[in-house]
Amino acid sequence: MALAERPRPGVQPLWIERIPAAWWALALILLTMPAWANNFILFQVMGWTFILGMIALSLMFLAGYGGMVSLIQMSVAAMAGYMMAIFGNSGMGDISMGLPWWLYLPIAIVIAAIFGTIVGALAVRTEGIYTIMITLAIAAAFFYFTRQNYTIFNGYSGFNLVVPPELFGVDWRQPMPFYYLTLGCAVICYAVVVYVSRAPFGLALQGVRDNPRRMAALGFNVTAHRIAAYTFASVIAAIGGILLVWQNAQIAPGTAGIPAVIDILVIAVVGGISRPIGPFIGALIYVLLRTFSPDVLLAFGLSGERFKLLIGLGFLAVVFFSPDGVLGLWERWKSRRDRRRDPLTGADE
Amino acid sequence: MQGFIRRNPIWSLLIALVVAVLLWLIFAPWTDEMEELLGRKRIFLNAIFGGITLGALYFLVASGFTLIFGLMRNVNLAHGSLYLLGGYIGFEVSERTGSWFLAFPVVFVVVAIVGIILQNQVFRRMEGEELRQTMVTIGLSVVIADLMLWTWGGQSYTIYAPDMLFGPMTLPIISGVRSSGEIIYLKYPAVRMAILFAAIVIGVAMWVVLNKTRLGMLVRAGVDDREMLAASGVRIQYVFLAVFAFGAGLAGMAGIVGGTFQSLSPGEDTRFLLASLVVVIVGGMGSIPGAALGALIIGLSEQLGLVYAPTYSVVFTFLIMAVVLAFRPQGLLGERQ
Amino acid sequence: MTLVEDSSADRLGSVSSGNALELRGVTKMFGALAAISDITLTVASGERRAVLGSNGAGKTTLFNCVTGDFLPTSGTIRLFGEDVSRFPAYERIRRGLRRTYQISLLFNGLTVADNVYLACRGVSRGRFSFLRPRENDALLTRADELIEAVHLSPWRDTAVANLSYGQQRQLEIALALAGAPRIILFDEPAAGLSPTERSELVAILNGLPGHIGYIIIEHDMDVALRVAESVTMMHNGLVFKEGTPEEIENDQEVQELYLGDGHE
Repeated sequence: MALAERPRPGVQPLWIERIPAAWWALALILLTMPAWANNFILFQVMGWTFILGMIALSLMFLAGYGGMVSLIQMSVAAMAGYMMAIFGNSGMGDISMGLPWWLYLPIAIVIAAIFGTIVGALAVRTEGIYTIMITLAIAAAFFYFTRQNYTIFNGYSGFNLVVPPELFGVDWRQPMPFYYLTLGCAVICYAVVVYVSRAPFGLALQGVRDNPRRMAALGFNVTAHRIAAYTFASVIAAIGGILLVWQNAQIAPGTAGIPAVIDILVIAVVGGISRPIGPFIGALIYVLLRTFSPDVLLAFGLSGERFKLLIGLGFLAVVFFSPDGVLGLWERWKSRRDRRRDPLTGADE
Repeated sequence: MQGFIRRNPIWSLLIALVVAVLLWLIFAPWTDEMEELLGRKRIFLNAIFGGITLGALYFLVASGFTLIFGLMRNVNLAHGSLYLLGGYIGFEVSERTGSWFLAFPVVFVVVAIVGIILQNQVFRRMEGEELRQTMVTIGLSVVIADLMLWTWGGQSYTIYAPDMLFGPMTLPIISGVRSSGEIIYLKYPAVRMAILFAAIVIGVAMWVVLNKTRLGMLVRAGVDDREMLAASGVRIQYVFLAVFAFGAGLAGMAGIVGGTFQSLSPGEDTRFLLASLVVVIVGGMGSIPGAALGALIIGLSEQLGLVYAPTYSVVFTFLIMAVVLAFRPQGLLGERQ
Repeated sequence: MTLVEDSSADRLGSVSSGNALELRGVTKMFGALAAISDITLTVASGERRAVLGSNGAGKTTLFNCVTGDFLPTSGTIRLFGEDVSRFPAYERIRRGLRRTYQISLLFNGLTVADNVYLACRGVSRGRFSFLRPRENDALLTRADELIEAVHLSPWRDTAVANLSYGQQRQLEIALALAGAPRIILFDEPAAGLSPTERSELVAILNGLPGHIGYIIIEHDMDVALRVAESVTMMHNGLVFKEGTPEEIENDQEVQELYLGDGHE
């Protein structure tokens, strides 16, 4: 598993000079998008991409840096959404408490983080392949519980009319504000993950991934480190979950149903779990498929419902041919092109 | 067993006590006070028997899962799809031929072949890459689920049991006493008893094969040390294929059973995959007796929960799993990694 | 160039005199097989001890029990007077114990500098820090010194997976020297090294400050006897003989056993 790029301390250009041109281009496109894209693209396609990207990013953090493939991330996101609906406002006046936003948002994130931490504490008691089984089982339990429980989670129907607070006189569910809101959150989450990956915490997590026994022999409490990683990832997932609920204006058990849980894994893996940008690429591909494949399928005389087949097959193809996701494919293609251009060096990468 | 009693005297005592109380509750006629406290005995007995039968079904699905995992470290998350596929094929066979019994060998062979293809084309190609194998099975389960939805649609199917197993049978267990003093015996659907009986036979047979035959010895040796087995000249790939085919076939047959006493519809694949996961997490991954114990516990807790605390029956299942994970992460009968 | 930090700043501040390591009746069973049985062993502070023995004598298992990679089946292990028998590995490491591994256990995806930095971080505060180290961070400087000390400076930004075998062994030693070690367990540090690399290793070991003791498992008698003050012979999981290098070298039984068994 390749690591994130590593800037070294020492004589270096200013940080701003180190950013490659492609990133500037990307930033320009993203910032000016509202000027040339329609509302559907802004709200449905891009907004959804950023949100799913954030939730998948939390999985990427655990899987790529910590070696723990956790399927609980979508449930953590949904937990945050539920807590926001319960402590804040919704169409279910009987349950919702109507606290102000500056209270219910932190409460939602903290409770989701606690939930994620507890699941993490259970999951890290076993190793490797077991994590995926245990987190999947707990995610399913969460789904069934929210569907059956009416006193807190309002059972089958969940909560509707959960909308963002009207801060600074802006309706954040309008396409343009929502686009910038999700873009801002996604960029912050991405930057934090990149930063932490090179901080002692992130480095140690990668050490735990490579060699837990040796980490213990260096004085690290491996279990505590793994659990802390779950807490950190849960906060990112929680932010994604809150935005997701705002986008749909509702939350129901299906938000964290098994298909949704699996989708997050698909997104992260298809994009590539070795780098934080991967989940966002995966999310974009997924959202484009989800949004436009029914039309394409219909054009071929198939039912629009077959998009699941398409996504499943795409996922299979990626796992079969490029364990590193689309990012890995891209990198392989680039290195092959470089080699062709300069046959003298013959060096790989 | 004796070693366990010696090492954990308190636990052994507690387990013996719980089992004794349960047996007493089942066989002793209930007094009026007890009925007042616990409800009708018939309801309790139905929940218990329902739980045991459900446990039997879970065992049929989970034993294949745990066998495959134990031997090859393959987490086959498409196991639920094999179950549902088996159910659908069983439905087709029994509808067209009118024979419920014929469905079993047909489904076993067909789903076992699917299993062989899976093992040969997926798992063998990615030998040692556990995570990738698991992800491929996730992808496969998505694809198979959609193909099945395409073929059989979203409605639910029930497979009809043959006349011989239709209707209730009377069990020698007192469910209540009429005011006239006449003793009422428990009546229970015969087909469910047949399922329970079949699960016990299959479970015992698996145990015997694993513990008393040469094939079983090879499989167990493979669980302990694959390299040694491979080095000793045994064609381990054939053992792998056989076990995978058997586990898949068993899941397929369980599909017929599930389709007979419950129903088949999209989503059942995930449900039974999850049931298998929980069962093997509770019972101990890779252990057949563990799968039996886990299936019994989960089946009972689900049915008892459904009767006595309908809202929280899922929570019980989850709590059992969380407690096991917290105190015995390797599962009740699992061995430490 | 300082090879190791001064341990006077050690946070435990326990008495430096006395025994670094005391094993009493330590036994480790794997199923019915006793990998080591009833080992009683005392290593004084600052003492340099070699553990010899054929393959399967239980030397590495002994190390694993001392560091806490395995919990012993029975017996007690005292580190600087404190009973650590039931402590997890990281607690023992934080008390000044270090070890290297026979088969290099390094972080293959990370660079040399990252590996050493992690080792320095593991025995200091801020293991969970979310803040990146600043460029003048004391631990980064310290990590660079250690890399220098084991002659790996040209490769500080190379991923471990791309290092040669000998370089990986040197990196192992750098990891063991991080922080303020008081007793180090070296598990066959010379295995697979060239003669030049071996003399470099001997120089590094002999150059350690006097207050740092170590136990070294070594097949190469030549290396072992040049860096150790005392020798423990193990055979079939038992302590077979103890003595000075000369005594062991001239011992009739040892010679029969060692030569009879052959070198690996």
